[in-house]
Amino acid sequence: MLERRSFLNIDWLLAFSVLTLGVVGVGMVYSATYGGPFTDRAFKQLLYLVIGLVVMVLAMAIDYHTLAELNVVFYGASLLMLGYLLLFGRAIANTRGWLELGPVNFQPAEMTKITTLLALSAFLAARRGPALGLFNMAGILGLVGLPVLLIALQPDLGTAITFLPMVAVAAFLGGIRIRTILILVLIPILALPMLWNHYLKDYQKTRILTFLEPTRDPKGAGYQVIQSKIAVGSGGLTGKGFLEGTQGQLNFLPAQHTDFIFALLAEERGFVGSMVVLSLYFIVIYRCVAIARAARDRLGVFLAMGMLALFSCQVLINLAVVVGLLPTTGVPLPLMSYGGSSLITTLAGMGLVLNVWMRRLVN
Amino acid sequence: MAWDYRNTKDFKDYYEERRLQRRIAVVFVLLAAALLFYLFNLWYLQVVNQENYRRLADNNRLRQVVLNPLRGTIMDRERRVIVRNRISFNVLLDREKVTNLGVSVRTLSRVLHLAPETIEERIARYRNRPRFEPVIVKEDVDLAEAAYLESRRLELPEISVAIEPKRSYDEGELAAHTLGYVGEISETQLGHSRYAGYQLGDVIGKAGLERYYDADLSGEKGWKRVIVNSLGREMREVPAGKRPTPGNALRLTVDLDLQRELEDAFVDKTGSAVFLDPDSGEILAIISKPAFDPNVFARRFSAEDWNQLIQSEAHPLQNRAIQSKFAPGSVFKIVVAVAALESGRATAAWTHFCPGYAYHYGRKFLCHLEGGHGTVAMVEAIKLSCNVYFYQLGRDLGIDLISRYAHELGFGGKTGIDLANEEAGTVPDEDWKRRTRNEPWWPGETISVSIGQGALEVTPIQMAVFASAIANGGVFYRPHLLKGREIRDGVEEAEHPPEVLRQIRLKPSTWSVIREAMWRVVNQGGTGTRAAIPGRDVCGKTGTAQVVKASAGVKSEHLAESIRDNAWFIGFAPREHSRIAFAVFVERGGHGGEAAAPIAQRVMLKFFEKLDRGKEPEQVARAPKLP
Repeated sequence: MLERRSFLNIDWLLAFSVLTLGVVGVGMVYSATYGGPFTDRAFKQLLYLVIGLVVMVLAMAIDYHTLAELNVVFYGASLLMLGYLLLFGRAIANTRGWLELGPVNFQPAEMTKITTLLALSAFLAARRGPALGLFNMAGILGLVGLPVLLIALQPDLGTAITFLPMVAVAAFLGGIRIRTILILVLIPILALPMLWNHYLKDYQKTRILTFLEPTRDPKGAGYQVIQSKIAVGSGGLTGKGFLEGTQGQLNFLPAQHTDFIFALLAEERGFVGSMVVLSLYFIVIYRCVAIARAARDRLGVFLAMGMLALFSCQVLINLAVVVGLLPTTGVPLPLMSYGGSSLITTLAGMGLVLNVWMRRLVN
Repeated sequence: MAWDYRNTKDFKDYYEERRLQRRIAVVFVLLAAALLFYLFNLWYLQVVNQENYRRLADNNRLRQVVLNPLRGTIMDRERRVIVRNRISFNVLLDREKVTNLGVSVRTLSRVLHLAPETIEERIARYRNRPRFEPVIVKEDVDLAEAAYLESRRLELPEISVAIEPKRSYDEGELAAHTLGYVGEISETQLGHSRYAGYQLGDVIGKAGLERYYDADLSGEKGWKRVIVNSLGREMREVPAGKRPTPGNALRLTVDLDLQRELEDAFVDKTGSAVFLDPDSGEILAIISKPAFDPNVFARRFSAEDWNQLIQSEAHPLQNRAIQSKFAPGSVFKIVVAVAALESGRATAAWTHFCPGYAYHYGRKFLCHLEGGHGTVAMVEAIKLSCNVYFYQLGRDLGIDLISRYAHELGFGGKTGIDLANEEAGTVPDEDWKRRTRNEPWWPGETISVSIGQGALEVTPIQMAVFASAIANGGVFYRPHLLKGREIRDGVEEAEHPPEVLRQIRLKPSTWSVIREAMWRVVNQGGTGTRAAIPGRDVCGKTGTAQVVKASAGVKSEHLAESIRDNAWFIGFAPREHSRIAFAVFVERGGHGGEAAAPIAQRVMLKFFEKLDRGKEPEQVARAPKLP
């Protein structure tokens, strides 16, 4: 199972990029909490990074085919946890997303991303035939839709939305027909007004309205985006220096250790720093694609590309919020934002991708 | 097991594998394009627009804090401080450091002698303010309370004492109207161009000299920049800024010794008085009674106190020296005499018989002495203040001639004193009557005006300037209170020179007649003998003016007896080379010679006593400066 030869086949470039982003994240969490009441968070993040690396190695070590065979177990366990949360979870900040197991608290929604990825990849890999019909699409939507629904009910719409790119990429690679795409696009458009009127919470509506018209509420929801843009823009070419960002250190920047950590980096490290981090994310994306292309079977392709979809869409959404292209969504920046569940889950997913690379050669 | 993944290692369909590879490439290109787009966005924000965002970030973090300058002090002519800034103590509660609010409130309640409910209510007022902003629990506590709290900083870290300068009028009510008072700028004043650069909460001069010389006293504001966090808390100072420039100190023409003497003489009286130097227009002492304590305005005082001040029948806020308008009474006979002598309508030798009354235009006008003064010439008529003599003189002159000379002698116009809201008074004539009442002049009114009654209205400052002009031979100086400015800690003094407004030229004989008459009023059994000082040759003229403004032609005898007359006494001393001129006015004081003349005498005694000691004001050593 854990052959010595395979370990020599690790994609070191991907591993290095992922690890570097994680370390940069710890540094920025340190800066974000510097001088405040939560200075222990940088240390915690470092701890999560170490745990995440262990999980990543585990996810690499076990042949991904074996993991895929067990997908029903993982997937089922995830759904059980999400269901448990909805029934018995304690609400923190109006959502029931945290599972409390003694001293360890985590968000099952995060790990569900990986278990859903496994289940989806297994489903698609086993499928035969030239194109995805409506029946197959229904299967895909069902597989992803179930956890999405459970998460959306917590309610945590931001996390729920991050599952959808996985569906899009899976369907696209699976060979969806144009007419199926059309149907799938039309349904959400028709459902949108209903969603707005019956499902969206007031704060979510406010976010969207404020995004459409930022001056609507400069001290409220729009304030965060404005302050984030000021932080990014005032960083200039080379930045204000580590721990010298005025927007961050004087707390004008909201949620600077979580959702707006990139704004802090951009302020303190400038365009140069932004470019370096963006390049690292690009390397991760590039390597995921390369691994998918080199995968020895369809399962590998879907695992690598599914993980890429999960990862890159979170990166893109988060950065869009930071530079003011999207309203505040609550999507963290993978590998950098403070938070154990997200970091460990992302590293586990990257472990799967490395797994696919390691076993790309038929033996 | 439903599917055997290991059997899927080969793509059965070559076409299908190519399509998959192609679609992977499409996803990659899309993601790469998106990242490129973000990179462009970041470049636009951070490189192209960085100046704009840097400015916005600075707007966030930098706050300009205004540093208020110390207000200039006000001193008397011998540099004795009358108005200064004292240190006041405010007790503050830092809500962030409170561990047990109940204990804090109880401690404050005990030390400051405030009800716990009052303290809680004050804390509640700050509910919507940032937590770091301290609550002002009590303003202007006494030194003992401040010292007690300050010595317990270790046990009471949440309680602190802040120092704030407050205006202090050390002499209380002394010269209150002249000095004025300070207060927070009003919304209407903020809109005025004179107060450009001021903001709400700024303290400005509201009345008197505090207002007139506000630009001098207020100094220049300074500023500093501080870095604030998102809650507005000051984090640290930026090493840039400007220190405030303290206001200039004012040195007044007022002599504190004379002023105190005048205050003592006026205790329990209503009215006003002005003493000035006839050779410069410098005001040596000035009073308006009843007065108020300007210190009250420096504190935050209640609406009740304010209403009491403005609704009082006695109008304590009115500066009577420049604002009260009353008939000059017999003092005006000097004006009529000047008009007669100068116009040539009569000489000093002209005599008239006074039987105690006279008929003019079908009405009977009385003299104040029953039985009359007999035949009198001009000097005796002034000395005895004979009405009948001046009825006839006035009738011969006509109202327009009297009015012309009254204006020449300073009535009916402002004196130009360096205080705001001076009244001009009224000198009536035919034209004035038509303009204001749309009625023709009635000849009987001229008879009333001849003895200083009727529609005539003068202010005490006008009377003092008039006395001064007689003393110095016709020079009208601008009466003023400012002797000089001390710019920055007394380093530089800018003198405020006397200003001659105009000069009237009368025949020498006219001057000598008037001075002789006024000398006799005091020194030869006239109406003002109670102002006499042996060896000082005090000259003066009494006046007794009706309280209820009599409409023209109505005799004061017809008015209710319960209303006492207003007493005037004006004059100067000595007769030649006068050193002091004055006007004293006592409302409802009765006769001028009895109520007003002794006050003038008392102040002059003090003046000559100081003069004899050779204590020239300018040679007095400077008093030590107080903060």
